[in-house]
Amino acid sequence: MPDVVVVSPIGDVDRLEVRDLSKSYGGVRALHRVSTVFRRGFNGIVGDNGAGKSTLMRIISGDIQPDTGQLILNGKELHLRSTADARRAGIESLYQDLALADTLDVAGNMFLGREITRNFLGLRLLDKRAMVRAAERTVASVNIQIPEVSRMVRTLSGGQRQAVALARAIYFNAPVILLDEPTAALGPKETAAVLGLVEQLRANGKLIIMVSHNIPQILDIADHLIVMRSGRIVKEVDPQSTSQEELLGFMVGSRT
Amino acid sequence: MEGSRSLANLVSRWVVASTRLGPRLQSALLRMSSLAVLIGLIIFFGFTAPGWYSTTTLFNILTATSLFLLLALGETFVIISSGIDLSVGSMEGMAGVASAVLIVHIYHGGFGIGVVAAGAAAALVIGLLGGAINGIVVGYLGLNSLIATLATYGAYLGFADIISNGFPVGNLPPAMATLGNGSVIGIPFLVLIAAAASLFCAGLASHTRWGRYVFAIGANREAVRRAGVNLRRHTVLLFTLSGGLAGLAGLLSTAKFLSASSQAGSTDLLIAIAAVVIGGTPLTGGEGTIWGTVVGALIITIIENGFVEMGVSGFWQLVVVGIIIVVAVYVDEYQRKLRIAAASASQPRVDE
Ligand SMILES: Nc1ncnc2c1ncn2[C@@H]1O[C@H](COP(=O)(O)OP(=O)(O)O)[C@@H](O)[C@H]1O
Ligand SMILES: [Mg+2]
Repeated sequence: MPDVVVVSPIGDVDRLEVRDLSKSYGGVRALHRVSTVFRRGFNGIVGDNGAGKSTLMRIISGDIQPDTGQLILNGKELHLRSTADARRAGIESLYQDLALADTLDVAGNMFLGREITRNFLGLRLLDKRAMVRAAERTVASVNIQIPEVSRMVRTLSGGQRQAVALARAIYFNAPVILLDEPTAALGPKETAAVLGLVEQLRANGKLIIMVSHNIPQILDIADHLIVMRSGRIVKEVDPQSTSQEELLGFMVGSRT
Repeated sequence: MEGSRSLANLVSRWVVASTRLGPRLQSALLRMSSLAVLIGLIIFFGFTAPGWYSTTTLFNILTATSLFLLLALGETFVIISSGIDLSVGSMEGMAGVASAVLIVHIYHGGFGIGVVAAGAAAALVIGLLGGAINGIVVGYLGLNSLIATLATYGAYLGFADIISNGFPVGNLPPAMATLGNGSVIGIPFLVLIAAAASLFCAGLASHTRWGRYVFAIGANREAVRRAGVNLRRHTVLLFTLSGGLAGLAGLLSTAKFLSASSQAGSTDLLIAIAAVVIGGTPLTGGEGTIWGTVVGALIITIIENGFVEMGVSGFWQLVVVGIIIVVAVYVDEYQRKLRIAAASASQPRVDE
């Protein structure tokens, strides 16, 4: 990727391990003793509705806490109490619901919670110009058209909104990027553009975990693929040597 | 059928075009529409009420605006965050009564600067505390702000009467009269204080992280939580700010009328919310400006003042304010509907 400012050189992540993760909601076991290792590159997760994919992603993003189990990043155990904790550890997330603050502009959303400030007579004020400049540089390095970074995100299309969220991950140079169905709400052209961006991130040595409903798409781009069903990981496959039929079989449980 | 569809198409295209103007121009236009009303009113009353253009009128209007503008400033933040604070009027009364009771209790002759300072501190602390209680009930107990502040609206009104036994408190020292009716270089203290508060709030809204989160929370609370912002603490500060400004209004109202009563702010809540809404801050949250609220507040006072000049009873003001609220909210809702229609009309064009 072209010259994007590196603000937080957290370093690369080779390995993110989850060990024995369980999570229940009342009587519903959303996740049951899930263990696996995600490596640098493109990790795909597939599974039916309610399989526990989003629950797993939300635990890794610090959004919810597991009942039991551990997260181990580069050999060190993580204790994530919030999404802010996860960001500090270098884990950035894109959510299924395109969660941006609609009335803020592109730069405002990119920097939400991590605004650049300047000192003015002892007061910490927003450095809007610095944020606009940084946002412009980041957006320019991304192959999605965003008109101006001072544009309210309410006026952007779905793909542009996902690009804003991705620009955030790029600017803060997160080594781990979580994407929960990032293209679910997008048309084909925008989907291709967002996937192109993810491709760039992979080429830059990031560890990407992406949930997708689109079987042909994920078989095409993933380096490693995990199949979930009823809160468990039922199969880990090599996308190179797996067909769509086999994958669907694992998803619905007709194959094991 | 075909005709009406193409008209809808045209309208939605126009709205799409207007949303592409960029936020800065858009909010400038929004601000200008209430500014245009303000200027229109000034011209209208200038023609219909002879001798209306004078510095006396100007300062009368600014002074009359000051008190409820303080409430409206805090209310602007609360409404931008998609909440509401119904307790500010009774908080104004409670803080005013409490400071007056304290001042009367400790005053022993003389000009009384010291006792007024103590009374001012009491009014502010009571406002800040009352606001913090609202914030804790909304932020930590998770109650809807409408219900929470409706409850404290009643409670604070009750406290004001408990403190004063239900009677107005008078016999205040000369220093209080100076605060309420004095001026420096011809500008009333009340006006200076309200102007300073407006500047402070405008700076808070557009130049601080806290202010930015007010907008972001109004737009998408969940996104702000995920961004790692402590929402509970933010909510407490939000209502504390609103309460502190109401406490200040209570002090200044006591100083202006040299009398404090639990009823002092009884109509100010309605007028403050009207100022916010007329100023272009939608009740849907996420958007709004402090300067819009200042313009909205001036519009309300000018209508009242102009009515009086024209010989219409000032009592009509509340009726007109009520009508204006309905019209302003309707126009806002209508624009929102158009925007949604425009957005769904442009939905198939995902390939931008
Ligand atoms: N906040 C929640 N409260 C209650 N149940 C939940 C909650 N989140 C998820 N679940 C349940 O947990 C299971 C897994 O959900 P989820 O992780 O969202 O699945 P997926 O993303 O694979 O479709 C489902 O049965 C779902 O109903
Ligand atoms: Mg899901």
